[in-house]
Amino acid sequence: MTGPSLWEVLDRACNTGNVMAAKDFDMKIFKTVSRLVAEYDIKYDSNTPVSSDDSLVDDVWNAGLQLFTEVGSYCINSNRVILFDESEIKEGLKELPGEATIGEGKEKRHVTLREADDGKPLSIIVGGVIESNIPEGELFIKLYQSLAKEPLIDGFYVGPPLQSSEGKMVRSGTPLETHLGPKMAYWVREALRREGRPGLHFASACTAAIANVAASDPDGLRRSDGIVATIMPELKTDYENLNKIVYSQDYGCVKHIYNGGMIGGWAGGPEGALVVAIANAIMAVMVYKIGAGESYNALGYLRQSIPNYSAFVTRPCLWGSSIGSQALSRNTKIVNTTIAMTNSGPGTEMQLQEIVSAICASIPCGREGLSEGVRRFKVKPLLGSGLENRFWGEVGVAMSKMKRGFANMLADEMLKKYEYKITRESDGGPMGHTFDEIYDLKTLTPRKRFLEVYSGVKKELEDLGLEF
Amino acid sequence: MFNVNEDEILKQLSDAVQNYDEEAAAKAAKTAVDAKINPVKAIEEGLAVGLRTIGDKFETGELWLPHLVMGAEAMEAAIKVLEAHMPKEDLERTIRGTVVIGTVEGDIHDLGLRIVASMLRANGFKVYELGCNTPSLVFIDKAKEVNADIIAASSLMTTTMPFMKDLIEALEHAGLRDKYKVLVGGGPVSKEWATAIGADGYGKDAADAVNVAKELVAK
Repeated sequence: MTGPSLWEVLDRACNTGNVMAAKDFDMKIFKTVSRLVAEYDIKYDSNTPVSSDDSLVDDVWNAGLQLFTEVGSYCINSNRVILFDESEIKEGLKELPGEATIGEGKEKRHVTLREADDGKPLSIIVGGVIESNIPEGELFIKLYQSLAKEPLIDGFYVGPPLQSSEGKMVRSGTPLETHLGPKMAYWVREALRREGRPGLHFASACTAAIANVAASDPDGLRRSDGIVATIMPELKTDYENLNKIVYSQDYGCVKHIYNGGMIGGWAGGPEGALVVAIANAIMAVMVYKIGAGESYNALGYLRQSIPNYSAFVTRPCLWGSSIGSQALSRNTKIVNTTIAMTNSGPGTEMQLQEIVSAICASIPCGREGLSEGVRRFKVKPLLGSGLENRFWGEVGVAMSKMKRGFANMLADEMLKKYEYKITRESDGGPMGHTFDEIYDLKTLTPRKRFLEVYSGVKKELEDLGLEF
Repeated sequence: MFNVNEDEILKQLSDAVQNYDEEAAAKAAKTAVDAKINPVKAIEEGLAVGLRTIGDKFETGELWLPHLVMGAEAMEAAIKVLEAHMPKEDLERTIRGTVVIGTVEGDIHDLGLRIVASMLRANGFKVYELGCNTPSLVFIDKAKEVNADIIAASSLMTTTMPFMKDLIEALEHAGLRDKYKVLVGGGPVSKEWATAIGADGYGKDAADAVNVAKELVAK
């Protein structure tokens, strides 16, 4: 017996699922989550950013599984609910291979599973610069060269978006984005050629499925590369994301699915968001069929929409992400990686401290590696560089040797250093510096003052007991 | 004695909203009508107090979006009872302003939009939600239909922010730019962007959007 095929899932999404108003689906999630949080007695603990409570972890897994079984997933375009029965979910989870291969030639990487307190090295370190409004052409190439120069980096997340296509403003889902998809992929390949790493993996995050389709080419998006699809809050999908999934499966490239649970939205507080984060991960298995073909993902973490910021590295987010990481590691074979979106921008101490926190709540908690790099949510052009990607990889490697107790101490230390800076007045934290400020563009090396910031934070981490 | 009874009924209205109880809210509204309490007072000093309390707790992270939605639904249930007993003009006087709100074309993110819409309701605005992926002309048609004071547009991606500019240009082309205030916000949107495209206001987050909306309708 096998789980429902992608074609069966699409039939439910497009043709046969029960029609329901979105607001009714949202309220059903809230009511079901509230009930499950009470039933399983799940309670947020602000004193423990990285939990080691295996019993809580299993309760959270069971609550998330129950939520997905009762509620299912929702397709925004068709207003249909995609439901699965218990035996289908059980079979779907069994289909996960528990491994993935990305990249080509010398840059081929094989990803295998880890456990909490594993001590095993990471098998994948994917970096990236997320949604930072980068100019097209040479500066874009140089930015990704700066990432490819980092030996620890096994690949990177690309886009969206660029500022323009052929000098014209790009709008999501328009023909100019369709044109930009392949151009972006060719520029990435050019960056990789220049750095002598032509087979390095990248994941394309164009918002329109057709832009990814247009990029598919041996000189662009290869089968060893990936297409990013997302789950929308909460437990929702749409035809654009389903198109990406269908195409990834037909083309045979890597699927990369991300999203967690949103604190403050339909799930309610951190406890409810955590239960939703688990249900989202099961949705990736059942609806996006991450067990079919190659995939690595970023699932089972928390985001925060309130009070004021959309960040992944606040105290309640870390608490939830640490438990979500363990719940998926203990109960599934999902290849799961760390994502971090920071309040502060590149070239700042605070961003590096936020990166450490994100890794504390994930790598000693059983995630396989890192993905999607970091970003500052409030966007100004060119916020990203190879330097914070270097730090991302180095801290990931160092933390892979550490256990949850140490991670809890370290995350708490980091939070004390930055959480008071996350205010409305500061817009979440310092904006940071642009690529051309951080790097000398002629030599493509970081400037001294930013290297000093990086070295300073590493020294602080060493003083706290982290070995590089 | 009458004042004690009135205070008690106003509290019942507020409590019903805070308990998200549509039935209790409608029942308290009926009691208010029977006690000949001024319906405007019942709304402003009863129902709105309850919804504002939920909004305040949302701000401090004690309550969440679903609570705002359920509180607003309870308030609506009570207003349906009260409005039959008050002149339309009086009902309109209880409304701080009318807002048409949506996420711009090409953008499917609606969570922030729902939060801002709920917080506006909690602060006395009448809100028409257009959902996500809303073309500029749909914003404008709805604003005309409901005689809105404010058009509020949200974007969560830098590649959909240009559609905010389209909205303002479409208002200009239609000769309606001065008729509506335009309020923008969303993850990647900044004050600088709002100024550059000629928006009237920028909301950094839901609470800020409410404050800016209050300022815009006071002008």
